Amino acid sequence: MKQNKRNWLLLAPAGTWFLVMLIIPLSVVLIFSFGERAPSGGVVLALSLEQYANLPARWTAFKNTMTLAPIGTLAALLIAYPLAYFLAVKVNPKWKTILLVLVIVPFWTSILIRSYAWIFLLGGRGLPALLDWIGIEGVRLINTPFAVLVGIVYGYLPLMVFPIFVSLDRLDKRLLEAASDLGASRWNAFLQITLPLSIPGIATGCMLVFILLMGEFLIPALLGGGKVFFVGNALVDLFLQSRNWAFGSAVAVTLVVVMLITVTIYMRLIARLGASRDDVAIM
Amino acid sequence: MESVQYATKTDLVSGNAIAELRGVTKRYGSVLAASDLDLAIEPGEFLSFLGPSGCGKTTALRMLAGFETPTEGQVLLDGEVVNDVDAHHRPVNMVFQQYALFPHMTVAQNIGYGLRQIRPRIPKEQINERVGKALATVRLAGFEDRRIWEMSGGQQQRVALARAIVNEPKLLLLDEPMAALDRKLRKEMQIELQDLQRELGITFVLVTHDQEEALSMSDRICIMRDGRIVQIGSPQELYDTPKSRYVADFVGTSNFFDGKVVGYQGDLVSVRLSDGTVVEARSLHQVADGQDACVSVRPEQMRLSREEGGLPVHVHNRIFLGEHTEYLVTHAILGEFLVLSPRQTEMNDGPFNAGESLTVSWDAGTALVLEQE
Ligand SMILES: Nc1ncnc2c1ncn2[C@@H]1O[C@H](COP(=O)(O)OP(=O)(O)OP(=O)(O)O)[C@@H](O)[C@H]1O
Ligand SMILES: [Mg+2]
Repeated sequence: MKQNKRNWLLLAPAGTWFLVMLIIPLSVVLIFSFGERAPSGGVVLALSLEQYANLPARWTAFKNTMTLAPIGTLAALLIAYPLAYFLAVKVNPKWKTILLVLVIVPFWTSILIRSYAWIFLLGGRGLPALLDWIGIEGVRLINTPFAVLVGIVYGYLPLMVFPIFVSLDRLDKRLLEAASDLGASRWNAFLQITLPLSIPGIATGCMLVFILLMGEFLIPALLGGGKVFFVGNALVDLFLQSRNWAFGSAVAVTLVVVMLITVTIYMRLIARLGASRDDVAIM
Repeated sequence: MESVQYATKTDLVSGNAIAELRGVTKRYGSVLAASDLDLAIEPGEFLSFLGPSGCGKTTALRMLAGFETPTEGQVLLDGEVVNDVDAHHRPVNMVFQQYALFPHMTVAQNIGYGLRQIRPRIPKEQINERVGKALATVRLAGFEDRRIWEMSGGQQQRVALARAIVNEPKLLLLDEPMAALDRKLRKEMQIELQDLQRELGITFVLVTHDQEEALSMSDRICIMRDGRIVQIGSPQELYDTPKSRYVADFVGTSNFFDGKVVGYQGDLVSVRLSDGTVVEARSLHQVADGQDACVSVRPEQMRLSREEGGLPVHVHNRIFLGEHTEYLVTHAILGEFLVLSPRQTEMNDGPFNAGESLTVSWDAGTALVLEQE
């Protein structure tokens, strides 16, 4: 009985936080989404589905998010895995910590400043000018989906590197020796032992990056130049500029629902991949 | 291809070593892990590396498996130098200390792993059949689809064993495979392992720091110290004719007396002990007059008596062990030593009580002069 009470005490801070910062605002947004736009902006409570009927107006934002978020996640994975592998397996342990810190160094400055650097690099006087100079003309990078992709991969890479690094670092090196002892070439040992045992890290990394990308708005705003916008941008616009809270709420609720569905499907897939019993820690 | 012929014990005399270390030295930076190892492993034998922690047993094994390359010297398998051959190309399998079973595979998948690496591929049915046979050999039939974490420590050890033997290696290396098991299970596994070795005729190389294990299981034991091999021989040879005090101390127990050589005749040497007594002992190596010498006498070769003639001692402690009674006796100058008194003596002379004054003696031929190390 006493034990039970103590458990509740342990959960209390997080529970309160959860209630105040997530459940209540979400409920408010849900209620707003059935409302109507007030003449002076804001919302008039009602019970109409009008806002949801309006959703197709924002189809492009959804389409961009739902294509660039998975592609960005995949690209980040493909770049992060070899890096994490290198850090966990190949690097002299003496240098491991320093190199790991280097991976998160970009987090020390704001994403805003770093994105401006990218604006310059991808803009007319950056990479395209360089390409121009070596004879490849007319390449436009800034304000394209590609620029947004570069930005999000760059921004979220550390979040992908870390969980994969942890799962590779934890991997018992003797398993690889055992594989080699049993006749597996290095490549086969990687495919049959290392890769399957790092699935928990991959799953965690992809989940983190994907969820955060679904809500992203800063990078598309800066590197997409208003041409490649995400649902996040639509929300900023609806809540802060056009002050159409009711429609904004409907868009937000839809985003949450889409995210829940995608993540559920994703978790089912990972579970089916059959990672071992308690390894898929985050799920 | 299917069944490979393996050498049996009778081939031992042929002297065709299945594996050999020739002047092998291994350094890790400034650490000398193995130093000038010379060893020929005979086909079909059960050889053990015995020595205290850190003496280089695992290092020697890992060089045979191909996980480490010697700094100097050569490793030979079947008469060929394999220094530069990767582990996955060597016809050698290893049972790891913590088993190193693959956690994401079932028992059957673990055991079949080696077979699935073979190119051209072996048909699935054949793999399944061989896996089933290996499982039966280690008495785990029916456990195919279990997960590794659903197996007990002893069962995991058997899976590790099956995963190695299913490949019919020429040489099976075992790095303290019983260390993680409790005493009773260890005894059982020791017997099973011995039976298995006889049944399969595979050459076994076992690493252990448990002398009892080495003595009871091996055809030959290779005693190591500080990266060196100090003596190789059958358990009995090592027990009866240890070369050094280190070996005598490691294999069984013994009493040691320091003294100086005062004369010799043939292989019988006279040694004056620190209390002035002169004793005779056999020497297996050359000694010179005046040289420091260490005399070793096994506890079971000492006789306790109430009569004169022998080293005067008094009984410090008595432990009845059934067939034998173990006495801890004290000599005024030579200190304490152990005597094992057989049941028969106990019956004839009656038990010697703590505090009683006695004499200790032994036959000249049973004491040994050892190299002091
Ligand atoms: N990879 C390594 N790097 C540096 N030193 C090592 C390495 N492997 C082993 N050594 C050193 O080499 C020596 C022999 O080690 P080894 O593992 O062969 O001992 P061992 O006889 O198997 O001991 P134990 O019974 O404790 O397993 C030790 O001093 C050890 O510290
Ligand atoms: Mg060892």
